[in-house]
Amino acid sequence: MKKIAKDQLALLWEKIDQNYQLFLPIAKEKAVNFSTWKEGAEVDLDALRTVNSPKNIIFPQTETYLTFKKEGKKLGLEVVSRDEEYVVFGVRPCDVASFKLLDNVFLGEPVDKFYEENRQKGLIISQACLNPEETCFCNAFAINPESAPVGADVATWDLGDLLLWEAQSEKGKAFTEALSDLLEDVSEDDRKKLDEVKAGIKDKLEDLPLVHVAPEKIEGGLKEIFASEVWDELYQRCLGCGMCTYVCPTCHCYDLKDYNGNGCGERFRCWDSCMFSDFTMMAHGNPRTTQKERVRQRFMHKLVYYPNNYESYACVGCGRCTERCPVRLDIVKVIKKLGGERNEL
Amino acid sequence: MEKIKEEIRQIAREALTGKKVDIILAWEKGPLWYDSYPAFFTKEEEVDSLTWDSFCINNLSKYLLEETMADKKVGVFVKGCDALAFNQMMQDNRIRRDNVVVYGLPCPGMIDPDKVRAKRLNRGLTEVKQSGDELIFVTKDGEITVPAHEVYYDKCLYCHYPNPVVYDQLIGEKVAAETALDRSERFSQVEALEALSAEERFAYWDSQFSKCMRCFACRNVCPACSCERCTFDDDDLDILGKAREDSEDQFFHLIRAYHVVGRCIDCGECSRVCPQDIPLEKLNRKLIKDINALYGEYQAGLDPSTKAPLVTYQLEDADSFTAGEKGGKGT
Ligand code: SF4
Ligand code: SF4
Ligand code: SF4
Ligand code: SF4
Repeated sequence: MKKIAKDQLALLWEKIDQNYQLFLPIAKEKAVNFSTWKEGAEVDLDALRTVNSPKNIIFPQTETYLTFKKEGKKLGLEVVSRDEEYVVFGVRPCDVASFKLLDNVFLGEPVDKFYEENRQKGLIISQACLNPEETCFCNAFAINPESAPVGADVATWDLGDLLLWEAQSEKGKAFTEALSDLLEDVSEDDRKKLDEVKAGIKDKLEDLPLVHVAPEKIEGGLKEIFASEVWDELYQRCLGCGMCTYVCPTCHCYDLKDYNGNGCGERFRCWDSCMFSDFTMMAHGNPRTTQKERVRQRFMHKLVYYPNNYESYACVGCGRCTERCPVRLDIVKVIKKLGGERNEL
Repeated sequence: MEKIKEEIRQIAREALTGKKVDIILAWEKGPLWYDSYPAFFTKEEEVDSLTWDSFCINNLSKYLLEETMADKKVGVFVKGCDALAFNQMMQDNRIRRDNVVVYGLPCPGMIDPDKVRAKRLNRGLTEVKQSGDELIFVTKDGEITVPAHEVYYDKCLYCHYPNPVVYDQLIGEKVAAETALDRSERFSQVEALEALSAEERFAYWDSQFSKCMRCFACRNVCPACSCERCTFDDDDLDILGKAREDSEDQFFHLIRAYHVVGRCIDCGECSRVCPQDIPLEKLNRKLIKDINALYGEYQAGLDPSTKAPLVTYQLEDADSFTAGEKGGKGT
């Protein structure tokens, strides 16, 4: 295990930036999002969760993958791909876990080549959560915010003045090696301090208000839950915006569109939302004609369909929808309504 | 507010049992301290979970669009700003007045959870109680008292109409209407932007809009955005794509702002719900300020019988096409 003094981090960013595109949680006009680091950027490693999740890096909201241009009678086509290798620093354990959920979808047969390339070119550095917030319920999905999450190439912990650094994958080890002039070995004391910090996080978790959320307690099969009366009531307040799906690290529905320029154009993929009235629009219209069906779709997908396909829920308990939904129709309320709550820890 | 809550519940129960209404629009409490949200009550026994506290920020008038159009009889509880929204929707012919019973709630102000978090009062917080002009934050480790105006939404500090301007029945006593902050200060941030050069101003908005995710929460929560089918949703028209492109983001915001000119009641809901903290109220207030300057002071939603400045024409109206007149590029 390695460490770096936090006042040295700017040097670390500079060094990483020489060879990679570096994404960090950066505050801009009051909102913290993962964006490309530039000198002078307002890095905020204390912000627990970014507004937009780092999904936006591995599966960007808009991604052009084909450009076309008319040249005389011919049509020139060019496939666009990600040019630079990149590093994402400061990914929280819930968001790291979300990457695996996206992998299940995009890396299963048939493999999505664009996504695969995005994943291969990236290196993920996680950061443990010292202060889980009241909206966090990652523990419901067996995610441990104090831990080194599976799927992170490097895991880090903030110990106040120090950042502890543990390389996990081969890629992470080589990367750590290349930064060796900035990283030192940890002492026995540092390790002790880390254990204390981890224990402290665990204590805080038990005090969180949403600690009783337990999706596995939901009873009934697909058809039963689909036909449940709870949807009649739950959907009513939904405004049909797409915020919950856009901020969600695990929502992955997209649309394919052409931008039609003058004799040229681009084909791009962009996020779509099951909450929108034009989602999966077909010649005969939207198969889900009311907001009730759209709301049901979002939560059935997360709590029933996805688990049926991949044996895990499509939610990591990050709390973004819990915090942001303008009418507080978040997944916690849905899980509870469906009976997913335990009385004791 | 506790006492009023009981009164509200009683009114709701009676309205439902007496078949005065088919549905009651009010609020319910979720598991977190700030978690009050819109709820629809159709049975008397459901009313026990109805709540009224300092977190009932959601404007329920917006739901009338669908509910009254479905020919239901609706009872709706409105705060001051919600009443302005109600009137505005009336003026836009979006509500069937005969189908609605409006219960007015004089409003003490609503708490902005972000301000609570900024003060770190949220750690271990279980409940917030109101006592006069003070708020009591109940935590595991004891109680902390804070002057209410320190954590109220900015819009509440400027609020001139905490007492609903429209109702069939008013619940409780009216509250004092003087504002905590000078109301004209609403425009000071607009003036700061006006003082910038065009390039600086463009850079400011460019930076703000570059955060927009185009989730449309600002549009969908807005009481002035009441078109049955938004032009942005019309796939055939294809006037706004789904790509995150600076030009498209900016285009969306210009159209949104201009579409609510003269109808925006300045309730601030768009800014509240924006996940990216884009200060949409500055855009709206710039337009309100210009309308005030061009056509005289106007508050949308105050009186549905008056005509909105942009839907009427008078000979003495500002004329930006004539040299030396106020309006358009001339100002
Ligand atoms: S659940 Fe909330 S965030 Fe999602 S579409 Fe409905 S109102 Fe918007
Ligand atoms: S459903 Fe909500 S809590 Fe779950 S991963 Fe998505 S945004 Fe996070
Ligand atoms: S703006 Fe006025 S009426 Fe609306 S919530 Fe604030 S104080 Fe209440
Ligand atoms: S709510 Fe904010 S992020 Fe969403 S569309 Fe409106 S301005 Fe953009």
